[in-house]
Amino acid sequence: MSLKRTLLVVAVLWTALITVLHLKLNLHVQFFGPKPKVEATQKFRVGFIPVTCHLTCPVTDFINKNMSGESFFEPIRFNGWPEVKEAYLSGYMPATFLLAPLAMELREQGVPIKIVYLGHRDGTALMVNKDSQIYRLEDLRGKTVAVPNRFSNQRLLIYKALKDRGMSIKDINMVEMPPPDMPVALRQHAVDAITSGEPFMGQTELDGYGRVLYLTKDIWPNFISCVLVVSEDAIKNRRPEVQRLVDGIARSGKWLDQNMDHRMEAAEFVAQNYYNQDPRLLRFVLSKPPDRVKYTNLAPLKKDFEEIEALAVESGIMQGTVHFEDYVDTSFVKDDTAIQPYAWEGKKP
Amino acid sequence: MTNAKQPAIQVQNLWMSFPGKQAGEQIHVLERINLEVKAGEFVCIVGPSGCGKSTLLNIVGGFLPCSQGDVTVEGQPVAGPDPRRVFVFQENGVFPWLTVQENIGFGLLKKSVAERAGIVAHYIEMVGLHGFERAYPRELSGGMKQRVEIARALAANPDIIYMDEPFGALDFITRLKMRADLVRIWQSEKKTILFVTHDIEEAVQVADRVLVMSKRPATIQNIINVDLPRPRDLDSRGYLATRDEIFAAMGMSLRIGESEAEAARPNGAHAPKPQGLIPN
Amino acid sequence: MSATPPQPDLATFTGNRGPRAQNFQWSKIVLPIVVAILFLLAWDAGVRITGSDIFPKPIEVMRGIIQLIQRGLLLKYVVASLYRVTWGFTLAVLVGVPFGLFLGWYGWAFQAFNPMIQMLRPISPIAWIPVAILWFKVTDKAPIFLIFLASVFPITVSATAAVQNMQPVYLRAARNFGLTQFQLFSRVILPATLPQIITGIRIALGVAWLVVVAAEMIAVNSGLGYLIIDARNAGKRYDLVVAGMVMIGLIGLVLDLLVRQLEKFDEVRWGYANR
Ligand SMILES: Nc1ncnc2c1ncn2[C@@H]1O[C@H](COP(=O)(O)OP(=O)(O)OP(=O)(O)O)[C@@H](O)[C@H]1O
Ligand SMILES: [Mg+2]
Repeated sequence: MSLKRTLLVVAVLWTALITVLHLKLNLHVQFFGPKPKVEATQKFRVGFIPVTCHLTCPVTDFINKNMSGESFFEPIRFNGWPEVKEAYLSGYMPATFLLAPLAMELREQGVPIKIVYLGHRDGTALMVNKDSQIYRLEDLRGKTVAVPNRFSNQRLLIYKALKDRGMSIKDINMVEMPPPDMPVALRQHAVDAITSGEPFMGQTELDGYGRVLYLTKDIWPNFISCVLVVSEDAIKNRRPEVQRLVDGIARSGKWLDQNMDHRMEAAEFVAQNYYNQDPRLLRFVLSKPPDRVKYTNLAPLKKDFEEIEALAVESGIMQGTVHFEDYVDTSFVKDDTAIQPYAWEGKKP
Repeated sequence: MTNAKQPAIQVQNLWMSFPGKQAGEQIHVLERINLEVKAGEFVCIVGPSGCGKSTLLNIVGGFLPCSQGDVTVEGQPVAGPDPRRVFVFQENGVFPWLTVQENIGFGLLKKSVAERAGIVAHYIEMVGLHGFERAYPRELSGGMKQRVEIARALAANPDIIYMDEPFGALDFITRLKMRADLVRIWQSEKKTILFVTHDIEEAVQVADRVLVMSKRPATIQNIINVDLPRPRDLDSRGYLATRDEIFAAMGMSLRIGESEAEAARPNGAHAPKPQGLIPN
Repeated sequence: MSATPPQPDLATFTGNRGPRAQNFQWSKIVLPIVVAILFLLAWDAGVRITGSDIFPKPIEVMRGIIQLIQRGLLLKYVVASLYRVTWGFTLAVLVGVPFGLFLGWYGWAFQAFNPMIQMLRPISPIAWIPVAILWFKVTDKAPIFLIFLASVFPITVSATAAVQNMQPVYLRAARNFGLTQFQLFSRVILPATLPQIITGIRIALGVAWLVVVAAEMIAVNSGLGYLIIDARNAGKRYDLVVAGMVMIGLIGLVLDLLVRQLEKFDEVRWGYANR
C-alpha cells in the first residue's frame, strides 16, 4: 500500500477507535441500547479539592445518591487552587469550595462572587519533622515554612501566631507549595514546617515522621479556611438550586458531627469514591482528635470575616475595599440551628 | 534533415547581464547572440566553462527572462516553460519519490490510463529500462537515472528538447552509450534538439551543427557544420578534421597559444576513441 | 508498501543477510533489554542502599501497575491520554503541514509570520494552562488544546524548512510539464518535502506525548498525567507516580517505533541516509 493510503487508513481507524474507547470508558457514553435521559438543564456543578476542608461536598453527593438514587448537583474534583479558581472564572461551574481570603480578594478584584456557607471550622495543623529542634513557634525563626497559597488562611494563621508572639512574617522564610507535595518535602527536610488542610498534615503523623507543632484550634479557635462560594448570576437565576446546595452541605456537616460512626463511614466512602486515598488517612484526621476538624456552626458570621479581613489587609494581601456585606450572602441560612442532619445511617452491609 | 520553412528556434540580438554584487554593477554574460535552429535539427553549443551556455539555454527554454533581444520558438515569443518543449537538466531531475514508470508518465496526466501505460512501456523499452519499471531511482545507477530523465522528456512528446550537459556526470563508456542512444532516439522520433556541452568530442559525435561560444561576455564565435554521415566513424578523417576545427576555434578563444593543433589537446587528456560505438 | 523488482523492498537494501546481518538484528533486541535490566537493577540497588521508603523499588512499581490493571484503571487512563494526544496531534498536523508549506513557498508569508511563530514557539504549554482553562473550561478540549500548541510549532517549522531546502531542480523539472499550482503542490512540493516533514512529525509526536502530564493537570479526571497527579494527592503512593511515568515512557517508545515505520515507505526512503 502507498504511504498516503496507509497513513489515511491508519489515522482514520485509529482516531475512530481511540475516540470510541474514550467515550465508552471515560465518558461512559452508551452507544447501544436505550439512551440515558438527557437532562433538561445542566446539573449544578460544584468544584472541590480532595482535602477535609471540602469534605461536605462529596458527603452530600454520596448521601443524596444513596437516599434518592440521584444527586442534585455534580461535584467536580480539582487538584490545585489555581485550577479551581480558573475553572470558576471561566464560568464552567457556578459554585465551588474556595479559600476564604481568595474568595474575598476575588470580590475585591471585581469578580461577582458571594460566600454563602463555610466548608468547615479548624482542620489545619502546622507540622514539623519529628527529629527537628522546633518545639515552640519561636523556634521557627529563620526556618522555611510551606503554605498552600498566598491567599490561604494558613498564611494568615502563621501571621497571627507570630504577631501574638512579638515576631513578624519576615522572621521566617515562607514558600508556596501544593499540599500534596508537602509531606515528602517535610520528610526530605526540603522545608522545616508545613501547613495546609488535612489529610496531608495527618499523613505525616501517620507515617511517623511528622509532629504537630500546633493545631488551629489551639491558636485560632473556630478557624475557617475554606468556604462555599456561588456566582451572583447563579444566586439570581438558579436560586432554588443554590438553596438546595446550601441546605445539603449544612445537613451533611451536621451528619458528620453527629457521631463517630458517621465520620468513619464518610472516611470510607469519600476516600474510595472521591479522594482516591487510603481510607486510613481520613479515618485518622477525622478522629484524632475528634475536634481536629469540625463541620457544625458553619453559617458565615460577620465577626469571623472581619478578623480575617483585618489580618489580610494587615499582611498586605487585600486592600480592604470590600467588606462582609459585599462578599457574603447570608440569606440562604435563616437559622443554622434549625437545620437537621441527614437521616441516613450508612450503607449497612 | 528536413528543412521546415520556419526555424524551430530563433534568437535575435540577445543580450543578458546579471546584477553584480555592488549596486549598479552589471555582469555581462551574453552579447549580441543570434542563432537559428531548424525543425528536426540537432544543434550543439560548446564553449568554455562559465561563458553563459546554461544561461542561453535557460533563456531559450523560458526559465530565465533575457535583458534584451527576441527569442521565438516555433514562431511564438517565449514567455515561460511550455510542455511542448522539455528541458533535461544537468543535475538529475528525476523525482526520487516516484518509480521509473511513474517518472516517465509524469507529464502524461491528461492521457487515459491505458494510453499512458502504452506510452510509458514504449519509452521504457526504448531507453532499455525493461525490468525496472517499478524500481525507485535510488535503486538505479547514474546512467539509468539519466535515461529515465530522457525517457520522461521524450514521453511528453515535445517538439523540442533542450539538454544541458545531460551526460556530464557519467563515466566515459556510459557517456558514449548514452550519446548513441540519444542519436538513435532522435532519428526515430524526429525531434529538434538543442544540446549544451563542453565536450567537443561529444558535440562532433551527435550534432548536425556546432555553435562555438567565446568566453564571457559571450558571443557566438563560430558555427561549424558537421557534414558527416551517420553512424559516425570516430576514426574517419572527416570526424577528426571537424573535431580539430572546433578545437582550433576554442583554442583561439582560450588563447592558450602555440600551434592550433597543440591548443586543441591541452593535456593530451583525451582518451582513445573506441570505434563503432555510435550506431546507425 | 509497493513491491520493487527484482525483490520486494526491505531485503534489497538492508545489505546482504549473512551471519553478521543476523547478529545485528539480534543485538537490536537483546542489547536494549540488557540495558533495561541493568537499569532496573541499579534502580533497585539505589533504593536499597539509600534506605528510602518513599521512592519505590521496581517491584513495587510493578505491583502498582498490576493493581491499576486489576482496578481497570490502566486501560482507561491510557485510552484517555492517547485520545487527547491523538486529537491534539492530528489537529496540529492538519494545521501545521499546510501552513508550513505555505510559509515555505511564499517568501512574503514567511517574512510576515515567522517572527510571531518564533515568539510563540518557546512558550511552554504549562504557561498556557490558565488560558486553556479560561477558554475551554474543564473539558477534554483544554488538554487537547495544550497538546496541539506543543506540537503545531515543530511541525510548521519543519514543513517550512523542508520547502525552503527543497532541491530547485525538482521544481524546474516539474515546470516542464505545465502543471497547475495545485498540481505542483500535490505532485512535487509535498512529495519532495515529505521525508523532512515526517521527521518533523516524529519529533512533534514526542513533544505532544511529553506534554500530556502537564496537560492533564487541568481538572480532567482520567489519563496518565492525571494518574500521577492523583497519586500525589493519595498520600504515599509514589509507586503509582512512578507507574504513571513508566507507562508514559513505554507508550512513548511504541509511538516512536510506529512513526519510524513511516520512514520505510518507498515514497520517502530516498530522503533519509541509508540505514
Ligand atoms: N543568477 C546569476 N546571477 C549572477 N550571475 C550569474 C547567474 N547565473 C549565471 N551567472 C554568471 O553567468 C556566467 C555564465 O553562467 P552559465 O551557468 O551560463 O555558464 P556555463 O557556460 O553554463 O558554464 P558551465 O559550462 O561551467 O556550466 C557565469 O560567469 C556566472 O557567474
Ligand atoms: Mg552550465
